[in-house]
Amino acid sequence: MSSSNDVQSTQQPVVFVTRTAYPLPTQKYMIPTTWKRYHLSQLVNKALALATPIPFDFLVRGEILKASLGEWCAEHGVGEEETLEIEYIESVLPPQKMSDFPHEDWVSSVLCDLQGYLLTASYDGHVRAFDFSKNVVAAAPVHNAPITSLTLIPSTQNDTVTHMVATSSHDLTAAISRLAFDGAAPTSKTGVLATLHLHTAPVSSVSSNTSGTHLLTSSWDGLIGLWDTTIPPTDEVPEPENIGQERKKRRKVEDESKPRRKAPINVLKSHTARVSRVAFSEKQDAQIAYSCGFDSTVRVWDTENGICTHTITAAEKPFLDLAVSPDGNTALAASTDRTLTPYDLRSGSSSLSNTSASFLHPATPSCIAFGRNGNQVVTGAYDGVVRVWDLRSTKGAVASFKAWDGANKKVLGVDWKRGVVGVAGEGGVEVWKVGEEARN
Amino acid sequence: MAASDPQKHSKKRKQVEDEPDTHIHQNAVQLEMLTDDEDGAEISSDDGEADEFPEIDTGSDSEEDFDAEDNEDEDEDEEDDSDGLDSDASLHVFPKAKTVTSDITGKPKRVYPEIEPDYDSDSSTEDAPNRVGNVPMHWYDDLPHIGYDINGKKVLRPARGDELDKFLATVEDPNAWISAFDKNLQMDKPLTNEELDIIRRLYQNENPDASYDPYEPMVEWFTGKGKEEIMPLSAAPEPKRRWISSKWEKQKIMKIVRAIRQGRIVPNKPKSTNKLEFYAIWSDQSSTPHEPPPPAPKPHLPTNSESYNPPEEYLPTDEERKEWEEKDPEDRERDYLPQKYSSLRLVPAYNNFIKERFSRQLDLYLAPRVQRVKLNIDPKSLIPKLPSPSTLKPFPNYKSLTFSHTKGRARCVSISPDGAWAASGDEGGTVSIWEVNVGREVKRWQFKGKIGAVEWCPRTDVCYIVVGIEEEIHFLIPPNLPDSVYLLTKSLLAPATLPPSPATPSPVKWETVSSDTRSIDLPILSVHLPPSSGTPTQITWHRRGDYVASVSTGGSQSAVWMHQISRRHSQAPFKKVKGSVQAVLFHPTKPHFFVATQQYIRIYNLAEQHLLKTLTPGIKWISSMDVHPSGDHLIVGGYDRKLCWFDLELSDKPYKSLRYHTRAIRSVHFHPTYPLLASSSDDGSIQIFHARVYNDLLTDPLIVPLKILRGHHVQDGLGVLQVRWCNRQPWLLSGGADGNVAVWCT
Repeated sequence: MSSSNDVQSTQQPVVFVTRTAYPLPTQKYMIPTTWKRYHLSQLVNKALALATPIPFDFLVRGEILKASLGEWCAEHGVGEEETLEIEYIESVLPPQKMSDFPHEDWVSSVLCDLQGYLLTASYDGHVRAFDFSKNVVAAAPVHNAPITSLTLIPSTQNDTVTHMVATSSHDLTAAISRLAFDGAAPTSKTGVLATLHLHTAPVSSVSSNTSGTHLLTSSWDGLIGLWDTTIPPTDEVPEPENIGQERKKRRKVEDESKPRRKAPINVLKSHTARVSRVAFSEKQDAQIAYSCGFDSTVRVWDTENGICTHTITAAEKPFLDLAVSPDGNTALAASTDRTLTPYDLRSGSSSLSNTSASFLHPATPSCIAFGRNGNQVVTGAYDGVVRVWDLRSTKGAVASFKAWDGANKKVLGVDWKRGVVGVAGEGGVEVWKVGEEARN
Repeated sequence: MAASDPQKHSKKRKQVEDEPDTHIHQNAVQLEMLTDDEDGAEISSDDGEADEFPEIDTGSDSEEDFDAEDNEDEDEDEEDDSDGLDSDASLHVFPKAKTVTSDITGKPKRVYPEIEPDYDSDSSTEDAPNRVGNVPMHWYDDLPHIGYDINGKKVLRPARGDELDKFLATVEDPNAWISAFDKNLQMDKPLTNEELDIIRRLYQNENPDASYDPYEPMVEWFTGKGKEEIMPLSAAPEPKRRWISSKWEKQKIMKIVRAIRQGRIVPNKPKSTNKLEFYAIWSDQSSTPHEPPPPAPKPHLPTNSESYNPPEEYLPTDEERKEWEEKDPEDRERDYLPQKYSSLRLVPAYNNFIKERFSRQLDLYLAPRVQRVKLNIDPKSLIPKLPSPSTLKPFPNYKSLTFSHTKGRARCVSISPDGAWAASGDEGGTVSIWEVNVGREVKRWQFKGKIGAVEWCPRTDVCYIVVGIEEEIHFLIPPNLPDSVYLLTKSLLAPATLPPSPATPSPVKWETVSSDTRSIDLPILSVHLPPSSGTPTQITWHRRGDYVASVSTGGSQSAVWMHQISRRHSQAPFKKVKGSVQAVLFHPTKPHFFVATQQYIRIYNLAEQHLLKTLTPGIKWISSMDVHPSGDHLIVGGYDRKLCWFDLELSDKPYKSLRYHTRAIRSVHFHPTYPLLASSSDDGSIQIFHARVYNDLLTDPLIVPLKILRGHHVQDGLGVLQVRWCNRQPWLLSGGADGNVAVWCT
């Protein structure tokens, strides 16, 4: 009896802070040290007097509270008199698998941008569109080689049937294609509109700006191409004359759909090795692009002038993927040394000070997607595990789930929109429901 | 003698007290004479004669001296002295014993006179008025007194008249002529009768002792009845030896003399100095140069159980006692049993005393006399200082992805020059090209037979891979090439106009697929090695990408072929090679060619066509080798687990032999740009070394083991068959017997 009394009697002064939409008045609480997350969440819910209870997670000094408060204090040597500042975030519910979309070949990229539809780009060179009842609404053989990435070109017209997508491929080109969501049967509306000819090595990624006027392609040859999305009436790049016969045959077949051969409007040269990812800024009409490469740099580009405005150089970190937070301040770059490192992109900050703690993965992280709120991010790794991270807690993933029933298959692409995470990879595509934090 | 006379007694005492002085003096004189005598002896010995050392009769000398001195000293008090001498005899002789016939036993016994316990019995208590003692009386010459009496009162100087008074006294005093001056009392005292008697005797040259009888009756020692000598006294003449010096002594002396001459005996050697050597007896550091002997082992202190009256808990129980008694004495934990006695009185004699003393002596005897200095070296300090692996990053440390071959062991791996693609071949005849980063296969060729080797052409303007399959070498063009590269590659491998065939026909046939049946799935060019030459197990490129050398093992024909792509010509560089060739290599910068046979590596100069050097790694069976990109260092791996590092500038013996693997080494490879080295083995592990080569020739190459990569399964005793570094990145590819090709990333 006495011991339980003792335990109950110890209390920890605590101040709650939050960046969510549910702030509490600044006030010191005396919390029994035996309390765990559940009790704290109940306390916050009662204090807020919310109509529907919202589960919260609690971050104590950048670490998610998993055991009781007393155990945490004992582990970190925090005394009873010290006031703890506890940040609470909406807790991520355990991800639930919604459906899977099996593919014959590996899927390199998945897009959840369109409401109710899923766009996938596969290694067999096809771009496919699914609705959530697993029907293929559109499919187009865009490339003869594996497609490495896929992006949606937002159109100004509110056309819900046809959509423009851009793909990049191992066949050294990127392509602008039109997809018509009118059933599985290929129609004349679905097809390649233009091929983008610049690179001499496989194109690693393609990205479109928010207005859909420009595209960026990055390639293994270290170049980044800037393109507009207009379809030219004639070929801008002449067809090579002295090509082999088998290629000519193929060209003849393709002549019927007549994809135009486009040339870039600008080439961004600064990377010294393979550029693995280029991304337009998500801000409206911002002519800023971000890129990362195997030369261990993250670069910020001014696409209008075609110059590199900022370079962050890491040491021996060949970057595989890059994601920029919605506010454009933070870039997350995944590298082959199994880290996911946040970099401060704000101009003026030197490249040295912007490396904080990195998120360690047990396997190579291959793809990153930010949530709607810039605090949470999902990463896919080669061990087939998709992890949800909170940028405020570097110690461990908030949630994780194994795609494809735990088969050790590589995840090659993730996308997180509207509480849905699309996972693409070796085993096809899966869609998981992962709750997103409300934007504050 | 008149012992009651105080004056006489004082004189006697003075005499007694004088004596030690003279003795001391006499000793000093004696010492001097000794040294003189020694000198004399030395001189006499110098001449080589074996003379007897003169014997010094010190006793006689000193006696003479003593007498003479005595006489001189006491010249003026001659009479006094003679008197004193007389009294001396009575004083110094122990009280004479009288022989009395005992009443009880009837036998004669000695009876000593009773010592009277009064003051007179001791001369020291004599009543002398002046008690200053034996001090020179001239100290008191200027004083009115001449000393102090027993009560400390001054004894005043008696009045002394002048010469006239003296003269008158001699006239008036009838005793004046028999009185003498008493120094102590500073006055004339008449001599006693005894003293006068001594003086008279001395005058008459008689013995001063009155009791001395010069005419004592002769004691009949030999005459008379019963005293006759049975044997007469010898009348033999004095033997010669009494007055001839001894021959043996002479010899002994000559020995000493010779020793002195030769310097073995140093005469007048400074004798050990009489000075005492002072030393701090309690200081820790010993004054002698030697270490003090270690202290003897201390005997064990007695414990409670050894007490005669130990507490009850120490007393053995019956079982313990029985057990102790049954045990051999050597096995006993202790050599006694605790016993209890109510009092110390009851403790019997200790019967093991001798034994215990003996064992203690043994302990002391066997105890080490010298403190042995133990060589106490920390084994860690012997390990050479190597930089920590964490400072030598980057190096591969985890398996990023795996590419699986399903049809058999992944024998060979090759990386494209730009480091983006990997080609791997297995024993099932499959050659795959896949992305290094994603592990996705983009092209697969299927052949019949085992793939022995796959190598990517090092040229960057063309792109093709060379595959060695049983007695054939195929040239394959990967897909998705830029047009310019594709066209150049095609024109190189399948030119429209074939180069003129060489003058000497070669047994090797070059065959290009005709343009009609050409397909990406078929090799564009094939080289047919002569039949029964075996599978090419190694293909190595010259750095320019025009020459490629292939090594076939297991065939009966000559194994090494050198193929020139531009001329479509193959030739065997060696007519006859001693031993079977295991591996060949082109030097990265010079026209040198390394050929590894089973035990030797020969370096040939291809331009001048002669043998440059033969390296002997000491490996029984070489499996693989690789040359450092600088061209000055060579590593050789062997099936006997050894990895040898050669500095080609230095020696034909290995600079370093590393034996880290537990099974045969299968493959070694230097990274083309990073200072890294990898070796793979049949134990399924890959070892990564930091191998830094310095530009200055003085610094030795630095080899630091960094990481052991495990992840391949050992199948049929085969582990990791080939390792290759990824160009431009510190990544490693390894093909294993389990059919997996793993990519190891930093």
